[in-house]
Amino acid sequence: MSYNKIVKGRKGEEKFFLGNEAIVRGALESGIDVYTYYPGTPSSEVGETFMEIYKEVGMKWVESSINEKVAMEVAGSAYARGAAAMVGMKNVGLNVASDPLFALATTCPKNKNSAMVILVADDPQQHSSAVEMDSRYFLKIFKIPALEPSNPQECLEFTKEAFKISRELKLPVILRTVTMISHARSNVVIGEIKTSEIKDNFDLSKEINVALRLYFLKLKEDHIYNRLNRALEMSENSSLNKIENENAKNDFDLGIITSGVSYSYICEALDFLEFKAPILKIGFINPLPERKIVAFLRQFKQIFVIEENDTYIETQILAIAQKNKLNVKIHGKDPFSYSKENTMLLMVGELNPTKVALALTRITNLKPIIDLNLINKKKYKGLARNPILCAGCPHRTTGYALQKAVNKIKSDTGKEVYFFQDIGCYTLLALPPFSFANVKYCMGSSIALAQGVAQTSGSLSIAIIGDGTFFHSGIPALLNGVYNKAPILVLILDNGWIGMTGQQPHPGSDTRYYKEGSSKKAINLEDFLHGTGAYINVIKHNEGYDEKYLTKLRKLIYEKGLDVIENRNLHVIVIKDECIQKTNKRQAPVIRYINTHLCDNCGICFSKFQCPAIDSREDYAYIDPNLCLGCGICEEICPNNAIKMEE
Amino acid sequence: MNIDSYTIVVTGLGGQGLIRLLEILGNALITEGYKVMTSETHGLSQRGGKVTCFLRFGDRLHAPIPMIGSADMIIALEESTILDVLKHAKPDKSTNLIISTYEKHEIGIEYPSLKDLLEILYENSDNIHFIPAKEIAVKYTGNLKTMNTAILGYILRFLPLNRSIIEESMIQLFSGDALEMNLTALNEGINL
Repeated sequence: MSYNKIVKGRKGEEKFFLGNEAIVRGALESGIDVYTYYPGTPSSEVGETFMEIYKEVGMKWVESSINEKVAMEVAGSAYARGAAAMVGMKNVGLNVASDPLFALATTCPKNKNSAMVILVADDPQQHSSAVEMDSRYFLKIFKIPALEPSNPQECLEFTKEAFKISRELKLPVILRTVTMISHARSNVVIGEIKTSEIKDNFDLSKEINVALRLYFLKLKEDHIYNRLNRALEMSENSSLNKIENENAKNDFDLGIITSGVSYSYICEALDFLEFKAPILKIGFINPLPERKIVAFLRQFKQIFVIEENDTYIETQILAIAQKNKLNVKIHGKDPFSYSKENTMLLMVGELNPTKVALALTRITNLKPIIDLNLINKKKYKGLARNPILCAGCPHRTTGYALQKAVNKIKSDTGKEVYFFQDIGCYTLLALPPFSFANVKYCMGSSIALAQGVAQTSGSLSIAIIGDGTFFHSGIPALLNGVYNKAPILVLILDNGWIGMTGQQPHPGSDTRYYKEGSSKKAINLEDFLHGTGAYINVIKHNEGYDEKYLTKLRKLIYEKGLDVIENRNLHVIVIKDECIQKTNKRQAPVIRYINTHLCDNCGICFSKFQCPAIDSREDYAYIDPNLCLGCGICEEICPNNAIKMEE
Repeated sequence: MNIDSYTIVVTGLGGQGLIRLLEILGNALITEGYKVMTSETHGLSQRGGKVTCFLRFGDRLHAPIPMIGSADMIIALEESTILDVLKHAKPDKSTNLIISTYEKHEIGIEYPSLKDLLEILYENSDNIHFIPAKEIAVKYTGNLKTMNTAILGYILRFLPLNRSIIEESMIQLFSGDALEMNLTALNEGINL
């Protein structure tokens, strides 16, 4: 499927590409050899697509790495060795990968073909993220060039440009997107796929070996004053930094500076207001082209800067204006006031054309034909609906058993119980009816967070972490806990896959059930855990126990929780129950139905368990056969034996 | 046909197949030579949560997200979700509101009554279309997953697309029984 869609097609042909698909095509048109990644919305489709096609297109290597740091390192050394390499992650992934990037950014590979592009997909409005983080300030820390496309066509073109710049300067180049670019779909004109120029013999000499301090400083000097200086010249002369509507002078002496998706919003807003203003669109976002910006600023009395989230560009525009003694009023988010009063746009949340148009009316006093404020005042009460775990999700079963076990622990011991959540679908257990969440930071943090409370109080700390997240960054925290004898209960919710981002495989996934599995070796989680010396228990759903699975799970959590409190031991319970979405791709679900004669509408299934496939009709519960995914837990929890398999 | 811009807002619940619907429509429009833009919501797929996507086509398009008050058509794949997107309806009440009568109730939350709903809808549009998508899907295909295709069939009357282009687009994405069922649902939607 992906091969036909992404790889096939002649130069000049038009495709209907997702921004992320256009990035893949752009990389193929740059002769990419290696792609490594850790899945994270909104960047995941890039890795998935490469994984599907890389053998057929003859790339050297593609891997879904254990975490972003490792992905950066694998791609980084392939880059050093002469590959055209790319690594992909979401915004917070760059935090994880930042450590190696400091050294990597300064190294200067000797091989002609060496090129490295780092895809970082930010998520304004945190549609699918734990925090709303703007990755762009990293550009100043790493001191590397960066490009930001404003639509899927530019995703293709800017990816090619990024490879070109990196190959020439021997600096890694960041390609920054946001959700509304990675997940926008549009017409994309494709170019020609380029074959790899990687050589079998290569030079791994000291230009990439920065072990010596004095040598590193010398390399850093070259990095900043030679390579970055050349990057600045590129930025000054790049067509990626361009002025549009240059002659569209207006009564307000107003010019616009913007980049990325915000460019499309201001264009939409200008059209709507039937107003024209020159726009400096910045595609080459680091280093910023100071001379070009100064020449632009000189023409205006007022400038409106539009960018998502932080004031990365605006702060620099203010500095450039000051340095060049330009008397121009800069409108935007005002990086210094931390007040909503004088800002045109906010640093919180995602922009859209309407917010931008409203800001523009405040700057100019333009009166729109449609009263936007009036429309914004329309408030109709739609149903409040939280995102919920899928019908049949094993995490709901775990949550239900955990709730019962914890209630009993609390009443039997009088101790308080605290929950430490991690990043995964199970985060939704923080919402009613379970409400398990006291603290949650980032990937892999739950096990250490539990320790901070457990080591300083006599209460029970329970860490809840998925298998994918455990492999990603939970392992060091567990070892820390074992070593320090932390009295915590760790629940590893082993659903077999990286469920939240679309059931991608991780090192523990069953190699029989994914395409590239045949060339992988699965890591046995249980064997690994036994090696740590912690107390390990494993429970599997659908193992044919004598008693009900839920009862067994509840008892296990209760017993081990009690032992943590009483004997201050560290316990790990591995709950093996596969992501139902993945199971159902292999086999059709055995749908349950309700025997209305036996059902007394008690509400346990739809209210306490809250399976979204079940709701209440007048005097009995009803399972929607189109929503039921056949986990069968409702059959166990029904006190009236009213739920049965479909015959 | 030259079109400056035509904006469709699609709303519904995560997992209802919004993205697939956009893909079928988008592919068909591109085949007809239009410039198309969509914005999609992926990821923590927010199953059961509210999801809104946009599809825009025409010669004068900039952003994947439209200005409020500018949609030509709003499609609600679940009846009550129309209430969340009425900011996109044009103030002149010309927007076509296409509403599936499929209802997904939430435990402990009162579902809006048809009377209240109609009152609000009449405030916002003179072109309200209720589609019994669930009934069509169940009656003709026995599978609720074809609800969206029935709606797709219905809206073709407002779009510069003929049946064969949409069928071609569906052939690219479905095969076997799923294709047959969807073609049936499309036909029923067209004949409504």
